[in-house]
Amino acid sequence: MENLPLKRSGIKIWVIVALFLTSPAKLSAQFFDALVPGEVVVQHAGSIGFFSVGAGYRVFKNKRGNVDMNYGFVPASKGGPLHILSAKFAYRPFEIRIKDWATIYPANPGAFVSYHFGKEFDFYWDKSQYEKGYYWWSSAIRPHLSLSNEVKLHGKKIVRGEKIKSITLYSEFNTNELYLVSFFQNHGDLSMRDVFKLGIGVRVGF
Amino acid sequence: MVKNIICVLLVLALFFVACNELEYSPNQAFDNDTPRDLNNKNIKRLLETEGDDTIRFVLSGDSQREYSNSKALVSAVNKMKGIDFLFLAGDISDFGLVQEMEWIDDIFSRLQVPYIGVIGNHDMVANGERAYRRMFGDFNFSFIYKGVKFVCHNTNSREKAFDGTIPNLPWLKEQMSYEEGVNAYVTVAHVPPGNEDFDNSVKDEYIDVLNSSPNTLAALYAHTHREDLFYPGAGKIPYIVTDAIEHRQFVLVEISNGKLTFETIRY
Repeated sequence: MENLPLKRSGIKIWVIVALFLTSPAKLSAQFFDALVPGEVVVQHAGSIGFFSVGAGYRVFKNKRGNVDMNYGFVPASKGGPLHILSAKFAYRPFEIRIKDWATIYPANPGAFVSYHFGKEFDFYWDKSQYEKGYYWWSSAIRPHLSLSNEVKLHGKKIVRGEKIKSITLYSEFNTNELYLVSFFQNHGDLSMRDVFKLGIGVRVGF
Repeated sequence: MVKNIICVLLVLALFFVACNELEYSPNQAFDNDTPRDLNNKNIKRLLETEGDDTIRFVLSGDSQREYSNSKALVSAVNKMKGIDFLFLAGDISDFGLVQEMEWIDDIFSRLQVPYIGVIGNHDMVANGERAYRRMFGDFNFSFIYKGVKFVCHNTNSREKAFDGTIPNLPWLKEQMSYEEGVNAYVTVAHVPPGNEDFDNSVKDEYIDVLNSSPNTLAALYAHTHREDLFYPGAGKIPYIVTDAIEHRQFVLVEISNGKLTFETIRY
Protein backbone atom coordinates (compact mmCIF):
# COMPACT_ATOMS: atom_id res chain seq x y z
CA MET A 1 0.00 0.00 0.00
CA GLU A 2 2.74 2.43 0.92
CA ASN A 3 4.35 2.11 -2.50
CA LEU A 4 1.25 2.94 -4.46
CA PRO A 5 1.57 6.75 -4.73
CA LEU A 6 5.19 6.31 -5.81
CA LYS A 7 4.16 3.82 -8.48
CA ARG A 8 1.50 6.13 -9.82
CA SER A 9 3.80 9.11 -10.15
CA GLY A 10 6.31 6.80 -11.84
CA ILE A 11 3.74 5.90 -14.46
CA LYS A 12 2.88 9.56 -15.02
CA ILE A 13 6.49 10.47 -15.72
CA TRP A 14 6.77 7.66 -18.30
CA VAL A 15 3.64 8.83 -20.08
CA ILE A 16 5.08 12.34 -20.38
CA VAL A 17 8.44 11.05 -21.60
CA ALA A 18 6.69 8.80 -24.13
CA LEU A 19 4.69 11.75 -25.43
CA PHE A 20 7.83 13.79 -25.98
CA LEU A 21 9.60 10.93 -27.76
CA THR A 22 6.75 10.06 -30.08
CA SER A 23 5.38 13.51 -30.89
CA PRO A 24 6.40 14.98 -34.24
CA ALA A 25 9.13 17.56 -34.31
CA LYS A 26 6.67 20.18 -35.54
CA LEU A 27 4.65 19.92 -32.35
CA SER A 28 7.64 20.58 -30.10
CA ALA A 29 8.69 23.49 -32.32
CA GLN A 30 5.25 24.97 -31.80
CA PHE A 31 5.63 24.38 -28.12
CA PHE A 32 8.87 26.36 -28.03
CA ASP A 33 7.42 29.07 -30.24
CA ALA A 34 4.70 29.52 -27.69
CA LEU A 35 7.35 30.20 -25.04
CA VAL A 36 8.56 33.30 -26.89
CA PRO A 37 6.64 36.19 -25.37
CA GLY A 38 4.68 38.62 -27.48
CA GLU A 39 5.39 41.50 -25.14
CA VAL A 40 8.04 42.91 -22.85
CA VAL A 41 6.60 44.41 -19.68
CA VAL A 42 8.04 47.03 -17.34
CA GLN A 43 6.02 47.92 -14.25
CA HIS A 44 6.50 50.41 -11.43
CA ALA A 45 5.00 49.50 -8.01
CA GLY A 46 1.80 47.44 -7.98
CA SER A 47 3.05 45.26 -5.05
CA ILE A 48 5.52 43.24 -7.15
CA GLY A 49 8.60 45.47 -6.89
CA PHE A 50 9.72 49.08 -7.07
CA PHE A 51 10.33 48.09 -10.66
CA SER A 52 9.62 44.77 -12.26
CA VAL A 53 10.33 43.47 -15.73
CA GLY A 54 8.75 40.54 -17.43
CA ALA A 55 7.45 38.71 -20.41
CA GLY A 56 3.84 38.98 -21.51
CA TYR A 57 1.86 36.36 -23.38
CA ARG A 58 -1.50 36.83 -25.10
CA VAL A 59 -3.66 33.82 -24.43
CA PHE A 60 -6.98 32.44 -25.70
CA LYS A 61 -8.14 32.46 -29.31
CA ASN A 62 -9.49 36.00 -29.07
CA LYS A 63 -6.18 37.23 -27.55
CA ARG A 64 -8.12 38.88 -24.74
CA GLY A 65 -6.32 36.95 -22.04
CA ASN A 66 -2.91 37.93 -20.77
CA VAL A 67 -0.25 36.13 -18.77
CA ASP A 68 2.78 38.02 -17.45
CA MET A 69 5.80 36.56 -15.70
CA ASN A 70 7.68 39.26 -13.82
CA TYR A 71 10.76 39.63 -11.69
CA GLY A 72 10.67 42.60 -9.34
CA PHE A 73 13.09 44.30 -7.02
CA VAL A 74 12.65 46.73 -4.14
CA PRO A 75 15.90 48.56 -3.26
CA ALA A 76 16.88 49.17 0.37
CA SER A 77 16.09 52.87 -0.02
CA LYS A 78 12.46 51.97 -0.85
CA GLY A 79 11.85 49.47 1.95
CA GLY A 80 13.79 46.51 0.59
CA PRO A 81 15.93 44.79 -0.46
CA LEU A 82 13.23 42.45 -1.73
CA HIS A 83 13.25 40.08 -4.68
CA ILE A 84 9.86 39.08 -6.02
CA LEU A 85 8.64 36.73 -8.72
CA SER A 86 5.09 37.10 -9.93
CA ALA A 87 2.81 35.27 -12.32
CA LYS A 88 -0.11 37.39 -13.47
CA PHE A 89 -3.26 36.74 -15.37
CA ALA A 90 -5.81 39.25 -16.66
CA TYR A 91 -8.73 39.21 -19.04
CA ARG A 92 -10.03 42.05 -21.20
CA PRO A 93 -13.81 41.83 -21.40
CA PHE A 94 -14.27 45.33 -22.85
CA GLU A 95 -12.51 47.21 -25.58
CA ILE A 96 -13.02 50.64 -27.03
CA ARG A 97 -11.39 51.26 -30.37
CA ILE A 98 -10.29 54.75 -31.23
CA LYS A 99 -10.08 54.74 -35.01
CA ASP A 100 -7.02 52.81 -36.06
CA TRP A 101 -4.45 54.26 -33.72
CA ALA A 102 -5.49 53.10 -30.25
CA THR A 103 -7.58 50.68 -28.24
CA ILE A 104 -8.71 51.27 -24.67
CA TYR A 105 -9.32 48.34 -22.35
CA PRO A 106 -11.13 50.14 -19.54
CA ALA A 107 -11.45 47.40 -16.92
CA ASN A 108 -9.54 44.15 -16.94
CA PRO A 109 -10.10 41.88 -13.97
CA GLY A 110 -7.25 39.59 -13.06
CA ALA A 111 -5.40 37.66 -10.42
CA PHE A 112 -1.77 37.09 -9.68
CA VAL A 113 0.54 35.32 -7.30
CA SER A 114 3.74 36.80 -5.94
CA TYR A 115 6.63 35.02 -4.30
CA HIS A 116 9.14 36.75 -2.03
CA PHE A 117 12.63 35.31 -1.78
CA GLY A 118 14.51 35.35 1.51
CA LYS A 119 14.73 33.39 4.71
CA GLU A 120 12.36 35.72 6.55
CA PHE A 121 9.60 34.67 4.13
CA ASP A 122 8.25 31.19 4.70
CA PHE A 123 6.70 29.02 2.04
CA TYR A 124 6.05 26.43 4.70
CA TRP A 125 6.39 27.49 8.32
CA ASP A 126 9.23 25.56 9.95
CA LYS A 127 7.70 22.47 11.51
CA SER A 128 10.27 22.32 14.29
CA GLN A 129 9.40 25.88 15.25
CA TYR A 130 5.62 26.01 14.84
CA GLU A 131 2.76 23.60 15.28
CA LYS A 132 0.63 22.99 12.22
CA GLY A 133 -1.77 25.90 11.68
CA TYR A 134 0.03 28.26 14.11
CA TYR A 135 0.05 30.86 11.35
CA TRP A 136 -2.52 30.11 8.66
CA TRP A 137 -1.05 32.12 5.79
CA SER A 138 2.22 31.90 3.90
CA SER A 139 4.52 34.88 4.24
CA ALA A 140 6.32 34.09 0.96
CA ILE A 141 3.34 33.41 -1.33
CA ARG A 142 0.81 36.19 -1.73
CA PRO A 143 -2.32 35.77 -3.88
CA HIS A 144 -3.66 39.03 -5.30
CA LEU A 145 -6.76 40.22 -7.11
CA SER A 146 -6.32 42.95 -9.69
CA LEU A 147 -8.15 45.36 -11.92
CA SER A 148 -6.27 47.15 -14.66
CA ASN A 149 -6.95 49.53 -17.47
CA GLU A 150 -4.92 49.90 -20.61
CA VAL A 151 -4.41 52.20 -23.51
CA LYS A 152 -2.89 50.34 -26.41
CA LEU A 153 -1.26 52.42 -29.09
CA HIS A 154 -0.88 50.64 -32.37
CA GLY A 155 2.68 50.70 -33.60
CA LYS A 156 2.19 51.52 -37.26
CA LYS A 157 0.45 54.76 -36.48
CA ILE A 158 2.43 55.81 -33.47
CA VAL A 159 6.05 54.80 -33.81
CA ARG A 160 6.01 53.87 -37.49
CA GLY A 161 8.36 51.09 -36.56
CA GLU A 162 8.49 47.76 -38.22
CA LYS A 163 9.39 45.67 -35.20
CA ILE A 164 7.27 47.28 -32.52
CA LYS A 165 3.66 46.34 -33.06
CA SER A 166 2.19 48.19 -30.10
CA ILE A 167 2.92 50.19 -26.98
CA THR A 168 0.49 49.79 -24.11
CA LEU A 169 0.30 52.00 -21.03
CA TYR A 170 -1.54 50.60 -18.07
CA SER A 171 -2.42 51.15 -14.46
CA GLU A 172 -3.28 48.27 -12.22
CA PHE A 173 -4.92 48.12 -8.81
CA ASN A 174 -4.41 45.12 -6.64
CA THR A 175 -5.16 43.81 -3.23
CA ASN A 176 -4.12 40.63 -1.50
CA GLU A 177 -5.85 38.10 0.70
CA LEU A 178 -4.39 39.54 3.91
CA TYR A 179 -5.66 43.05 3.15
CA LEU A 180 -9.03 41.63 2.08
CA VAL A 181 -9.45 39.64 5.30
CA SER A 182 -8.68 42.84 7.21
CA PHE A 183 -11.14 44.78 5.06
CA PHE A 184 -14.06 42.40 5.50
CA GLN A 185 -13.48 41.88 9.20
CA ASN A 186 -13.60 45.62 9.87
CA HIS A 187 -16.50 46.59 7.73
CA GLY A 188 -16.58 50.32 7.25
CA ASP A 189 -13.38 51.04 9.13
CA LEU A 190 -11.09 50.21 6.24
CA SER A 191 -11.96 51.52 2.79
CA MET A 192 -11.39 50.09 -0.67
CA ARG A 193 -8.85 52.84 -1.06
CA ASP A 194 -6.97 51.47 1.95
CA VAL A 195 -6.67 47.95 0.60
CA PHE A 196 -6.20 48.54 -3.14
CA LYS A 197 -2.71 49.50 -4.23
CA LEU A 198 -1.59 51.03 -7.48
CA GLY A 199 1.00 50.06 -10.06
CA ILE A 200 1.70 51.54 -13.49
CA GLY A 201 3.41 49.97 -16.43
CA VAL A 202 4.26 49.76 -20.08
CA ARG A 203 4.07 46.75 -22.34
CA VAL A 204 5.75 46.71 -25.71
CA GLY A 205 4.42 44.25 -28.26
CA PHE A 206 6.61 42.71 -30.94
CA MET B 1 -8.12 63.12 -32.37
CA VAL B 2 -7.63 65.68 -29.58
CA LYS B 3 -11.00 64.71 -28.17
CA ASN B 4 -9.91 61.10 -28.09
CA ILE B 5 -6.65 61.85 -26.33
CA ILE B 6 -8.51 63.87 -23.71
CA CYS B 7 -10.86 60.96 -23.27
CA VAL B 8 -7.96 58.57 -22.72
CA LEU B 9 -6.28 60.90 -20.25
CA LEU B 10 -9.52 61.32 -18.34
CA VAL B 11 -9.92 57.57 -17.92
CA LEU B 12 -6.35 57.30 -16.64
CA ALA B 13 -6.76 60.28 -14.32
CA LEU B 14 -9.87 58.73 -12.81
CA PHE B 15 -7.91 55.65 -11.80
CA PHE B 16 -5.09 57.67 -10.30
CA VAL B 17 -7.46 59.73 -8.21
CA ALA B 18 -9.29 56.63 -7.00
CA CYS B 19 -6.16 55.30 -5.38
CA ASN B 20 -2.96 57.16 -4.73
CA GLU B 21 -0.99 54.50 -2.91
CA LEU B 22 1.82 53.07 -4.98
CA GLU B 23 2.89 49.92 -3.16
CA TYR B 24 6.19 48.25 -3.95
CA SER B 25 5.43 45.14 -1.92
CA PRO B 26 3.20 44.27 1.04
CA ASN B 27 6.49 43.24 2.66
CA GLN B 28 8.29 46.53 2.15
CA ALA B 29 9.72 47.72 5.46
CA PHE B 30 8.37 51.24 4.94
CA ASP B 31 6.80 53.53 2.38
CA ASN B 32 7.04 57.26 1.71
CA ASP B 33 4.85 58.33 4.61
CA THR B 34 5.55 55.65 7.22
CA PRO B 35 6.05 57.33 10.61
CA ARG B 36 9.39 56.75 12.32
CA ASP B 37 10.60 56.19 15.84
CA LEU B 38 7.12 56.46 17.36
CA ASN B 39 8.02 55.10 20.80
CA ASN B 40 10.79 57.62 21.42
CA LYS B 41 8.59 60.45 20.18
CA ASN B 42 5.69 59.35 22.37
CA ILE B 43 7.89 58.85 25.44
CA LYS B 44 9.30 62.34 24.90
CA ARG B 45 5.74 63.67 24.71
CA LEU B 46 4.81 61.80 27.89
CA LEU B 47 7.75 63.19 29.84
CA GLU B 48 6.90 66.73 28.72
CA THR B 49 3.32 66.64 29.97
CA GLU B 50 2.65 67.74 33.50
CA GLY B 51 0.44 65.52 35.57
CA ASP B 52 -0.56 64.77 39.12
CA ASP B 53 1.25 62.46 41.54
CA THR B 54 -0.69 59.44 40.35
CA ILE B 55 0.43 57.42 37.36
CA ARG B 56 -2.54 56.01 35.48
CA PHE B 57 -2.14 54.02 32.28
CA VAL B 58 -3.87 51.49 30.06
CA LEU B 59 -2.51 48.01 29.37
CA SER B 60 -3.92 46.77 26.06
CA GLY B 61 -2.66 44.40 23.42
CA ASP B 62 -3.31 42.36 20.30
CA SER B 63 -4.69 45.05 18.01
CA GLN B 64 -3.93 42.63 15.16
CA ARG B 65 -6.58 42.93 12.42
CA GLU B 66 -8.93 44.67 14.94
CA TYR B 67 -9.44 48.12 13.46
CA SER B 68 -13.08 48.57 14.47
CA ASN B 69 -12.43 47.41 18.04
CA SER B 70 -9.26 49.50 18.21
CA LYS B 71 -11.30 52.58 17.31
CA ALA B 72 -13.71 51.71 20.11
CA LEU B 73 -10.78 51.37 22.52
CA VAL B 74 -9.40 54.77 21.55
CA SER B 75 -12.73 56.52 22.03
CA ALA B 76 -13.27 54.72 25.35
CA VAL B 77 -9.84 55.80 26.65
CA ASN B 78 -10.34 59.35 25.36
CA LYS B 79 -13.46 59.61 27.52
CA MET B 80 -11.58 58.62 30.68
CA LYS B 81 -9.96 61.24 32.85
CA GLY B 82 -6.46 61.26 34.29
CA ILE B 83 -4.93 58.73 31.91
CA ASP B 84 -1.22 59.37 31.28
CA PHE B 85 -0.48 56.90 28.47
CA LEU B 86 -1.34 53.56 26.90
CA PHE B 87 0.69 50.42 26.36
CA LEU B 88 -0.03 48.45 23.20
CA ALA B 89 1.67 45.27 24.36
CA GLY B 90 2.37 43.44 21.15
CA ASP B 91 0.74 41.89 18.10
CA ILE B 92 0.16 45.37 16.80
CA SER B 93 -0.04 43.72 13.37
CA ASP B 94 -1.34 40.29 12.43
CA PHE B 95 0.87 39.52 9.42
CA GLY B 96 3.97 41.60 10.20
CA LEU B 97 3.07 44.07 7.43
CA VAL B 98 3.97 47.74 7.64
CA GLN B 99 0.55 48.62 6.19
CA GLU B 100 -1.14 47.06 9.21
CA MET B 101 1.13 48.95 11.60
CA GLU B 102 0.24 52.17 9.78
CA TRP B 103 -3.48 51.44 9.97
CA ILE B 104 -3.12 50.85 13.71
CA ASP B 105 -1.08 54.03 14.17
CA ASP B 106 -3.73 56.00 12.28
CA ILE B 107 -6.18 54.91 14.98
CA PHE B 108 -3.97 55.09 18.09
CA SER B 109 -2.51 58.45 17.14
CA ARG B 110 -6.01 59.80 17.75
CA LEU B 111 -5.57 59.07 21.45
CA GLN B 112 -5.31 62.20 23.54
CA VAL B 113 -2.42 60.56 25.39
CA PRO B 114 0.76 59.00 23.98
CA TYR B 115 0.82 55.29 23.28
CA ILE B 116 3.83 53.03 23.53
CA GLY B 117 4.23 49.86 21.47
CA VAL B 118 5.89 46.65 22.61
CA ILE B 119 6.77 43.97 20.05
CA GLY B 120 4.63 40.83 19.72
CA ASN B 121 5.24 37.55 17.92
CA HIS B 122 3.04 38.52 14.96
CA ASP B 123 5.06 41.71 14.51
CA MET B 124 8.14 39.55 13.89
CA VAL B 125 6.91 37.45 10.95
CA ALA B 126 7.84 38.19 7.33
CA ASN B 127 9.61 41.57 7.19
CA GLY B 128 7.87 42.67 10.38
CA GLU B 129 11.00 43.07 12.48
CA ARG B 130 12.43 45.65 10.11
CA ALA B 131 9.09 47.43 9.72
CA TYR B 132 8.54 47.50 13.49
CA ARG B 133 12.07 48.65 14.32
CA ARG B 134 11.90 51.59 11.94
CA MET B 135 8.38 52.60 12.85
CA PHE B 136 8.30 51.95 16.62
CA GLY B 137 11.93 51.46 17.67
CA ASP B 138 13.94 49.03 19.74
CA PHE B 139 12.53 45.69 20.91
CA ASN B 140 14.03 46.19 24.37
CA PHE B 141 13.85 49.67 25.87
CA SER B 142 13.04 51.46 29.10
CA PHE B 143 11.97 54.85 30.34
CA ILE B 144 11.49 56.49 33.71
CA TYR B 145 8.24 58.32 34.38
CA LYS B 146 7.63 59.95 37.77
CA GLY B 147 10.20 57.74 39.45
CA VAL B 148 8.88 54.48 37.98
CA LYS B 149 11.04 52.66 35.48
CA PHE B 150 9.09 50.89 32.74
CA VAL B 151 11.14 48.06 31.25
CA CYS B 152 9.66 46.99 27.91
CA HIS B 153 11.12 43.87 26.37
CA ASN B 154 10.78 41.14 23.77
CA THR B 155 9.55 37.76 25.05
CA ASN B 156 8.57 36.26 21.67
CA SER B 157 10.99 33.35 22.01
CA ARG B 158 9.30 31.07 19.47
CA GLU B 159 9.98 33.54 16.64
CA LYS B 160 13.70 32.89 17.11
CA ALA B 161 13.10 29.14 17.59
CA PHE B 162 13.94 29.29 21.31
CA ASP B 163 17.59 30.02 20.54
CA GLY B 164 18.23 31.42 24.01
CA THR B 165 18.45 35.09 22.95
CA ILE B 166 14.82 35.97 23.83
CA PRO B 167 14.18 37.21 26.47
CA ASN B 168 17.50 39.01 26.71
CA LEU B 169 18.34 38.16 30.34
CA PRO B 170 21.66 40.05 30.62
CA TRP B 171 19.93 43.22 29.38
CA LEU B 172 17.01 42.68 31.75
CA LYS B 173 19.35 42.11 34.72
CA GLU B 174 21.05 45.39 34.03
CA GLN B 175 17.73 47.21 33.63
CA MET B 176 16.28 45.80 36.84
CA SER B 177 19.27 46.66 39.00
CA TYR B 178 19.37 49.64 41.33
CA GLU B 179 19.30 53.03 39.66
CA GLU B 180 19.33 56.41 41.30
CA GLY B 181 16.07 58.29 41.02
CA VAL B 182 14.05 55.13 40.43
CA ASN B 183 11.60 54.16 43.16
CA ALA B 184 9.84 51.31 41.44
CA TYR B 185 9.97 49.01 38.41
CA VAL B 186 7.23 47.81 36.08
CA THR B 187 7.95 45.44 33.19
CA VAL B 188 5.95 45.13 29.97
CA ALA B 189 6.17 42.38 27.34
CA HIS B 190 3.94 40.41 24.99
CA VAL B 191 4.22 36.68 25.79
CA PRO B 192 3.87 35.85 29.51
CA PRO B 193 6.25 33.34 31.11
CA GLY B 194 4.81 29.84 31.24
CA ASN B 195 3.05 30.31 27.89
CA GLU B 196 4.05 27.80 25.20
CA ASP B 197 5.55 30.62 23.10
CA PHE B 198 7.85 31.68 25.94
CA ASP B 199 11.27 30.07 26.30
CA ASN B 200 10.38 28.18 29.47
CA SER B 201 13.89 26.77 29.79
CA VAL B 202 14.77 30.19 31.23
CA LYS B 203 11.41 30.84 32.87
CA ASP B 204 12.61 30.55 36.49
CA GLU B 205 15.66 32.69 35.86
CA TYR B 206 13.51 35.26 34.03
CA ILE B 207 11.01 35.51 36.87
CA ASP B 208 13.88 35.77 39.32
CA VAL B 209 15.38 38.68 37.36
CA LEU B 210 12.06 40.54 37.25
CA ASN B 211 11.24 39.92 40.90
CA SER B 212 14.66 40.78 42.26
CA SER B 213 14.79 44.46 41.39
CA PRO B 214 14.86 46.81 44.39
CA ASN B 215 11.09 47.28 44.04
CA THR B 216 9.15 45.52 41.27
CA LEU B 217 5.48 46.52 41.27
CA ALA B 218 4.15 44.35 38.46
CA ALA B 219 4.92 42.50 35.23
CA LEU B 220 2.47 43.18 32.38
CA TYR B 221 1.60 41.03 29.35
CA ALA B 222 -0.94 40.36 26.57
CA HIS B 223 -0.84 37.58 23.91
CA THR B 224 -3.21 34.98 25.39
CA HIS B 225 -6.46 36.83 24.54
CA ARG B 226 -7.61 35.99 28.04
CA GLU B 227 -7.19 37.97 31.21
CA ASP B 228 -4.98 36.31 33.75
CA LEU B 229 -3.23 37.04 37.02
CA PHE B 230 -0.54 35.05 38.79
CA TYR B 231 2.16 35.55 41.38
CA PRO B 232 5.12 33.40 40.29
CA GLY B 233 8.22 32.74 42.36
CA ALA B 234 8.16 33.37 46.05
CA GLY B 235 6.96 36.94 45.71
CA LYS B 236 3.76 38.89 45.94
CA ILE B 237 4.42 40.59 42.63
CA PRO B 238 1.42 40.41 40.27
CA TYR B 239 1.92 39.19 36.70
CA ILE B 240 -1.03 40.73 34.90
CA VAL B 241 -2.20 39.57 31.46
CA THR B 242 -4.69 41.74 29.61
CA ASP B 243 -7.43 40.36 27.39
CA ALA B 244 -7.21 41.23 23.70
CA ILE B 245 -8.69 44.24 21.94
CA GLU B 246 -10.98 41.85 20.02
CA HIS B 247 -12.79 41.20 23.32
CA ARG B 248 -13.10 44.92 24.06
CA GLN B 249 -11.30 44.76 27.32
CA PHE B 250 -8.19 46.30 28.84
CA VAL B 251 -6.51 46.69 32.20
CA LEU B 252 -6.36 50.09 33.86
CA VAL B 253 -3.28 50.37 36.09
CA GLU B 254 -2.77 53.01 38.75
CA ILE B 255 0.36 53.73 40.74
CA SER B 256 -0.22 56.00 43.69
CA ASN B 257 1.92 56.51 46.80
CA GLY B 258 4.17 53.65 45.68
CA LYS B 259 1.30 51.18 45.44
CA LEU B 260 0.02 49.59 42.27
CA THR B 261 -3.66 48.76 41.76
CA PHE B 262 -5.43 47.55 38.64
CA GLU B 263 -8.86 46.81 37.29
CA THR B 264 -10.37 45.34 34.14
CA ILE B 265 -12.31 47.78 32.00
CA ARG B 266 -14.84 46.66 29.38
CA TYR B 267 -16.06 49.00 26.70
